Amino acid sequence: MGSQSDPHAFAFSAAELEFLAEDETVEIVPNMRLEPLHLISGDFGPFRPQIATQVPLWLAVALKKRGKCTIRPPEWMSVEKLTQVLEAERDSEKFQSLPFHYVEISRLLFDHAREDIPDIYMVRSLIEDIKDVRFHKIGTGLEIISKEVTYALRLKNLSAMEANIVRPFVTQALQTFHKLNTSEAIPESGSIPSRQRQPVNQRDKRVLKGR
Amino acid sequence: MANYYDIDDILAEEELVPAVFLQTANEVGIFDCADETNKVEAGTQVEMPFWLAQELYVRQAVSIKVPPYFDTKAKTRNEIGADAAHVDLRSLCPYFYNFGCKIARLIGEKTIGPLLLVAFRTRYREVLIKAHTAASIVVPKNLTLLTKEETKLYEAGQSSTAAFKKWRMGGPRLQKASVLGRKRKPVE
Repeated sequence: MGSQSDPHAFAFSAAELEFLAEDETVEIVPNMRLEPLHLISGDFGPFRPQIATQVPLWLAVALKKRGKCTIRPPEWMSVEKLTQVLEAERDSEKFQSLPFHYVEISRLLFDHAREDIPDIYMVRSLIEDIKDVRFHKIGTGLEIISKEVTYALRLKNLSAMEANIVRPFVTQALQTFHKLNTSEAIPESGSIPSRQRQPVNQRDKRVLKGR
Repeated sequence: MANYYDIDDILAEEELVPAVFLQTANEVGIFDCADETNKVEAGTQVEMPFWLAQELYVRQAVSIKVPPYFDTKAKTRNEIGADAAHVDLRSLCPYFYNFGCKIARLIGEKTIGPLLLVAFRTRYREVLIKAHTAASIVVPKNLTLLTKEETKLYEAGQSSTAAFKKWRMGGPRLQKASVLGRKRKPVE
């Protein structure tokens, strides 16, 4: 179990993920006039009052703070869409597809552009619920590892934040399983209480399977 | 051979194992009663750290027995079979898994491996649930039963969950550097 002394050496912090999420684009409606901006990630603008345009989230937030624009919340952040997702999330074992950075984007928008989001309380609580349901699924999914023969995990549509939270735990757990499993390629000699081992072979499918 | 850069790997080899000297050895009376002869007769059973026993074992100076908790007939085995989650592995051996792997590999004991696997499977589930659900401040009482490896796993899960919660709760986004708040000392 080498180099596990710092479990967070290979994980991002939440703030770092937020930083990464700021590169996602959102639509804004500026109320000022500005020439196009030529950035490394691309050209944005030109900015004309009341003409919507796409910009990275960090720029949108910066302009918003100065009162230079309103942010149009992304399509998936509407009450209908989120209700749909929540229901689907509850009904199926799979993870619904949401933007990779949905946790971070929603938090940034709630913090900086609350008046631009219609039904903000509803939206916020829906996103909370979705997140809780998904976390619960991750939990049950991780429990499955311990019953598997092959220690692998498939998490499709998992978002950045969710993956990041379970990463230190999962990598360590899988490493330990792998270690115990490989050091014991020797067949069991029968003297072990085998109550725990029976259901192992009956499961071939992992539950945490995406679409 | 211990992993040179992993302190836990090194500490795991500190574990004492019962060993029997196959030959009379001089100058190692420290293992046996410390009389003037300062030697250990062949056939004496002593306890020595694993790292030493390992070296002597490959030179065929000692034979190694498994520690009581890995013994086929010992009650620990039955306890693990019954409910691994509530066995106090930490007091038995803080590096239960790591050490178990090492000793099994060295002496070719085939029953230890499956035992470790069964134990970890059951206990993993406990750790998983606690690490991701426990309220951040309250330390669950079963934590004292966990081995070092499991504690690490628990902490990995726990701290990332806590970090996420902290981030979500908000608070100041910009942290003040510690030098900034300081008042200048009056010049004397």
